[in-house]
Amino acid sequence: MKQKIVKWALIGLGALFVLIMLILPLATVLVYALRQGWETFSEAILDEYAIKALNLTLFTTVITVIVNTVFGIFAAWSIAKFRFRGKQILTTLIDIPFSISPIIAGLVFILVFGRIGWAYPLLELWNIKVVFAVPGIVLATIFVTFPFVSRELIPLMQAQGSDEEEAAALMGAGGFRIFRKVTLPNIKWGLLYGIILCTARSLGEFGAVSVVSGHLRGKTDTLPLHVEILFNEFKLTSAFAVSSILVLIAIIILILRNIVEYRVKKRGGVNDYVR
Amino acid sequence: MYVELQDINKKFGGYQAADNINFSIEKGKLIGLLGPSGSGKTTILRMIAGLETPDSGSIIIDGQRVNDLPASRRGIGFVFQNYALFRYMTVFDNIAFGLEVQKRDKAYIKERVSELIKLIGLEGLEKRRPHQLSGGQKQRVAFARALAPSPHLLLLDEPFAAIDAKIRKELRTWLRETINKVGITSIFVTHDQEEAVEVADEIIITNSGRIEQIGTPIDIYKKPATPFAAKFIGESIDVDRYGELHGFETDEHYDHAVLRPEFVKVTKVDKELYPYASERGTVEGIFFRGNMLELRLNVKGLKLISYRALEDEIFEVGEEVSILIYRLYLYNDKHVRMVENASVKANELFII
Repeated sequence: MKQKIVKWALIGLGALFVLIMLILPLATVLVYALRQGWETFSEAILDEYAIKALNLTLFTTVITVIVNTVFGIFAAWSIAKFRFRGKQILTTLIDIPFSISPIIAGLVFILVFGRIGWAYPLLELWNIKVVFAVPGIVLATIFVTFPFVSRELIPLMQAQGSDEEEAAALMGAGGFRIFRKVTLPNIKWGLLYGIILCTARSLGEFGAVSVVSGHLRGKTDTLPLHVEILFNEFKLTSAFAVSSILVLIAIIILILRNIVEYRVKKRGGVNDYVR
Repeated sequence: MYVELQDINKKFGGYQAADNINFSIEKGKLIGLLGPSGSGKTTILRMIAGLETPDSGSIIIDGQRVNDLPASRRGIGFVFQNYALFRYMTVFDNIAFGLEVQKRDKAYIKERVSELIKLIGLEGLEKRRPHQLSGGQKQRVAFARALAPSPHLLLLDEPFAAIDAKIRKELRTWLRETINKVGITSIFVTHDQEEAVEVADEIIITNSGRIEQIGTPIDIYKKPATPFAAKFIGESIDVDRYGELHGFETDEHYDHAVLRPEFVKVTKVDKELYPYASERGTVEGIFFRGNMLELRLNVKGLKLISYRALEDEIFEVGEEVSILIYRLYLYNDKHVRMVENASVKANELFII
């Protein structure tokens, strides 16, 4: 009896916390966005700058996810399947983006590629603009979201060991075949999970991007930055309307994430490897 | 000689996993690499396969030095301790993998895989995934997969370690028979001496990166070459002060002796056959061991063990009994010497 009370009290407390801290704010976004009617809402999200910002955000996310997936797999592969000196250091380095503030990540790029940066003359020579331009935004986003894929894969690949790869190699299979036929099927759900997390974070990245972007409307404004601009201009309804796009994407990603998580648990997931 | 290892050394950091290893294996033999965990036996196997590179020395297979040949081109079949079956492939695809790598045509692959599935007795399970198989079945699939590309040499790393005791015995006999049928030179690693003795034509005993002895199971059992081999093969009881036992004299070069339970015969005091050779001792404990009784004995303060059939006369704990020890292995840190009970020999009596 007493246990039951404790159980329901804890569940109630958890639910209340989630309601106040997470659901209420999100609901508020939608309520505010639609407060002045559908027309104002659609006007705000169909605004030229909003659409440009959405495009830039999607573009940045696609590049970021591709780059981080490829390098994440490389990093996880080398850490999980090989023995070498400095492996521990490499593992720690991968975590850097998680442990430092995004704003510092942004500043780092200003210091390297900006007017005062050591790489600036080189970029000037080739006529490439990084800071206050799209490449800077992409770089900053890649930096901030780098660990997601590799962090997801490293424990998984370490738990799996390299026996299956060795077995395939002993039968004469080459590296690419081993990856395609043996490694990739084994990691696919973990990989997908990492990609989804990486996507979610890229879409919403604000701090680092804010530093390198320069806030040029229609040029270097991503969706989160656009929301901030609207907010600063006291266009609250528009700000919330644009925010609701991000919320919508977030909910879609959440659902995808749950589906993948369910698949991972159901078959060939972590439980299967630990055994 | 089909497989030869010459002066192989391998270090992992400060740990010497292989210390000047030399041995050679005849074609068609089934060899057991036996040693405690950490003795370097798996490292030896992995070096032969090409999964590790020796720091120095040569590995020769079929007359060719293979040190610089990558694992994929050595033509070796390898069965992993945890099977390492490809978990997202069916039984059929697992076995077919090596053949697909060799780019064999579909009809041949189908025929060869069916033939192997028949050999391992898993007809009808072709479409199963590894997680739908029992341990013994996985083991058989791993074996078939290793054999599929027709390797010249088969290596098995602790092939029975992950299988429960009952099926292990069955699988041992099966593996031995199947390897004989296929006629492939094979090396398997084990830490279980019973397994090595039962399955192998020849045993190589390894200990802390070195080879202690090479020989047939019977040879090693009867004539252990080193103290380690004497203690590792068979069950052994360590005895100091062996000179106090009737029929044995202290040899100044050897300060310890190994005694095996089967060298100890226990009888009731009134049925003692060799009074001069026997000892008097007490039964300190009797334990049921499934198909026999284990007796814990105390002779002049020395603790001995002996086995007794269930049909034999029953002793009681605390009973005084006659104990005949008819053989000992004396050893020091390098050598082993077998001695028989001198009093029994003097009486020219025959011992079972």
